[in-house]
Amino acid sequence: MMSLASYLIISMVLFVVGLMVMIARKNIVAILLGIELILNAAALNFVAYSRYVTSNLDGHIFSLFIIVVAAAEAAVGLAIVIRFFQIKETIHVDEATQLRN
Amino acid sequence: MEYTVGSIAPIFLSPVIAFVINAFLGRKLPRHGDWLATLSIFISFIFSARIFGDFLFGKFATDYYIHKVFTWFDLSYGTQIFKVDMGIYIDNMSAIMLLMVSGVATLIHLFSTWYMDHDEKHGRFFVFLPLFTSAMLGLVLSDNLFSLFIFWEIMGFCSYSLIGIYNKKEKAGDASLKAFMTTRVGDVFLLLGIVAIWMVLGSVAYVDIYAAIAEGKFTGLSVLGISFATFSALCIFLGAMGKSAQFPLQVWLPDAMMGPTPGSALIHAATMVTAGVWVSLRMYPLMVLGDITWFIAVIGAITAFGAATIATVQTDIKAVLAYSTLSQLGYMILGVGVGSYNAAFMHVITHAMFKACLFLSAGSIIHSVHEQEMPKLGGLRKYLPYTHFAMMCCTLAIAGIPFFSGFVSKDRILGDALYYGFMAGQNPLLAIVPILGFAGAGLTAFYMFRMMFLTFYGENKAHHDDHGHGHHGDHGHGHEIHHEHLDARQNVPLLILSVFTLGFWFCGTLTGQGFGKVFGSKTEWFKILVEAPKVEKFVNSPREPFSKVDSKPEAHLEHAHYHHQTGYAGPNPDEHKLHSAHTIGAIASIIIAFSGVFLAFLMYIKGSVKPWASRFPGFTKVLQNKYYFDDLYIEVIIKKGLLNLNKGLSWFDMGVYDRFAVDGWATVNRWLFKASKWFDNVVVDAIGVDGTGVAVNLFNLVLRIVQSGKIQFYFVMLVMVLASYIWTLNI
Amino acid sequence: MFLQFLFISSAILTLACTVAVLVTKNLMHSCVFLLGTLVGMAGLYATLGADFVAVTQIMVYMGGVVILMLFAVMLTGGKDFVSRAQNLLGLPASMGNKWTYSMGIFVGVVFILTNVKLLSSIIKTTPTKTIGNDFPSTVTQLGHLLVKDHVLAFEISSVLLLGALVGAAIIARPRKQN
Repeated sequence: MMSLASYLIISMVLFVVGLMVMIARKNIVAILLGIELILNAAALNFVAYSRYVTSNLDGHIFSLFIIVVAAAEAAVGLAIVIRFFQIKETIHVDEATQLRN
Repeated sequence: MEYTVGSIAPIFLSPVIAFVINAFLGRKLPRHGDWLATLSIFISFIFSARIFGDFLFGKFATDYYIHKVFTWFDLSYGTQIFKVDMGIYIDNMSAIMLLMVSGVATLIHLFSTWYMDHDEKHGRFFVFLPLFTSAMLGLVLSDNLFSLFIFWEIMGFCSYSLIGIYNKKEKAGDASLKAFMTTRVGDVFLLLGIVAIWMVLGSVAYVDIYAAIAEGKFTGLSVLGISFATFSALCIFLGAMGKSAQFPLQVWLPDAMMGPTPGSALIHAATMVTAGVWVSLRMYPLMVLGDITWFIAVIGAITAFGAATIATVQTDIKAVLAYSTLSQLGYMILGVGVGSYNAAFMHVITHAMFKACLFLSAGSIIHSVHEQEMPKLGGLRKYLPYTHFAMMCCTLAIAGIPFFSGFVSKDRILGDALYYGFMAGQNPLLAIVPILGFAGAGLTAFYMFRMMFLTFYGENKAHHDDHGHGHHGDHGHGHEIHHEHLDARQNVPLLILSVFTLGFWFCGTLTGQGFGKVFGSKTEWFKILVEAPKVEKFVNSPREPFSKVDSKPEAHLEHAHYHHQTGYAGPNPDEHKLHSAHTIGAIASIIIAFSGVFLAFLMYIKGSVKPWASRFPGFTKVLQNKYYFDDLYIEVIIKKGLLNLNKGLSWFDMGVYDRFAVDGWATVNRWLFKASKWFDNVVVDAIGVDGTGVAVNLFNLVLRIVQSGKIQFYFVMLVMVLASYIWTLNI
Repeated sequence: MFLQFLFISSAILTLACTVAVLVTKNLMHSCVFLLGTLVGMAGLYATLGADFVAVTQIMVYMGGVVILMLFAVMLTGGKDFVSRAQNLLGLPASMGNKWTYSMGIFVGVVFILTNVKLLSSIIKTTPTKTIGNDFPSTVTQLGHLLVKDHVLAFEISSVLLLGALVGAAIIARPRKQN
């Protein structure tokens, strides 16, 4: 029951759903949610491999850094979203067509 | 002894730095930075003096040398070696040469600061002067023919700029162009020779060439039907001929006096023209292997004699000196040719000293009197006593009067030439070499004293001729000539140089023949230090990386003694016969020199013999026209040859190419036009143009979908590409 | 037994919440479901013996990131959020339309197929160890690793965080309207 394969399958489902969220949604915040899911899938893979294959803690370190990067990305992304909303009164991703402002 | 790059590189780099600073900041520096240029050369001189001192005072054996290399670039690929090394090669000869070049150049720079004062080209002059000197120093330091060629060309450019520095005078421009183009003829051959050696050896370092000669790598190869060694040696010697102004490429050097006199001094004495002799000396083993030494000797003899004859009729003081330079260069080349390696190099050094002094003296006269035509001068002894003294010393030296340096070196060359021509069992026709040599020596004494007598003795014509045409000229001859005072920049350089016109500095004895020992004959340092390269010792010679401290242990090197009595390196040496040849030669050259001086005295002081110029007007005219060489080149070679070739080419262009090719092409074109019209209508228009439109439309459709600007669509594409990649993996 | 239970419950929570994030109509609900996913992830980390990572997950993600997301959703609620224009799936316009959903499903299928191809071989070939039920604390070891082997990455990530902080502040700062 608890084996590497089960973790990998969970991680795969997370990844695919994240991808689908990114593709299906037109809302920037929703796309960020998808990205968080994808990052989590990768982190889960690292920890699973760390436990079942390498038996050292480098995978944990990687997950920690992924969390750090995700936090930074969320902060910057949300700042951009807010700025975008101030300008366009919407957060529809198709409206984001210019780099100025 | 420890030599690092830091103790060698400043010799070359400090003038370069001065050049860069003067080139970019010269305008803003006080006095256009002439002090900086002088100082930089003086720094070179100090570093050179250290190396020279180490070599002279027996720190090293005679065959010691410093050789440091670094890789300039390396394009080797697999077994294809293409690697160019640059480096420093200093042996005894380079040490002497470096000291001479930097020392003479320092004095010339010092003199120039006086001479070029308030000249409009002052700043420009002091940009090129240090560059010129640094190029010569780099040429002497370089360890291979390739970097030698680079410095050679820099010198060619600098001489071009210095000769034509008064760029508003048309004659100066022409002279600079002539110098550049004539030396270029030689340079092409030099480059050809370098490339030929490169093709065979894959390296052009001196030591590699020497080693290749010792190992016989050149034997059996041939180029264009002549042996490879002959071909490469001839090419390199042709380059040397161009640079050292040997017959028949001598035409540029007399015109080179168009530049300022100190520039001429640098060109004629220390730097430019000695480069040709230098490369001939460096490549002497190759010349011997290629068996062209007889050719070198003949060329040298012709130049030595021919230039001396022209010098006898010149009236411009600088022209006399220019032709005397040609003649003396002929002696050097003659010395190389007859195997008088040591003496030829000694003549380079002694000649550099006295010729620099002569040119600077001429500069001193011209700057003081504003006149350089000798018939308008005279009686200057009273006004310019120091210049007179210095110039007299140098004249005695160049004329070959005993106790002076010119006698020592020239007499040794002539002694070897005598042996080579009459006793070495050569072709009897080669007896012309010593005959022309001795005749040239007599003429040298004659024309140099003619110049002295006309300039410094007799009455001052300009001064007493109240109806003289130049009296009211703007820098006329009429104004009062000021008496010369001892000036650190005007005449102290001359006096310093004139000290070194004495012979014992170079051979230890007053005469060079063992009489009148000053330092004793054991201190014949020139013979101890300089000898023709022995190629055998260069086989598998180690080379040191640039950064390494020189590591050859001193203790194991014996201070070698010079064994040969004469320094003759030519064919069939015989000690005894050589000795007698030298004795005969010495006596003969003394007699010839004194008779030349006496003749000049009779003609121009006493007046008892009418100058021959009026006695043989036809011959004089030939001489005044420089044997019509300029006319030959311009009228015959350029106008008849090259212009006719041009005409032929243009006829071909108009008659053949234009008629058949161009007009014929029109007919062909008409047919082609019809064909292409059909092609145009059917293929291009129907298929090409319309087809392109359709294709563009289709493509546009695809691109419009792909380039939607919708970020989600890009994600989709990304995933599809990734997936398709993974599906192609075979796992 | 507890471990099995924890694993199964965490996995179910994770998968269910993940799918809910995808299909829910309301962005706010989406965020809350993401919270559930992250809790499940923390449980999964715990079953893998990664105690420190699990705690960090809860603290940073749930305490920081998701709260940020919620703030963003609320700050940018605007007309998209309010508008109730229904489309084919009964979703608000900003939550996607039939085209995007069908595209997403297509991509998901392709990706799953691809992943199955990859995973089948990976799972077959990767040697796994048999794991006991001991879970030693990883905190000490991780601390050592962070300041010894991975100290460079650690420092770089601190610089990254600083940059993100400053960048976010600059981007979101109020500007004069022109």
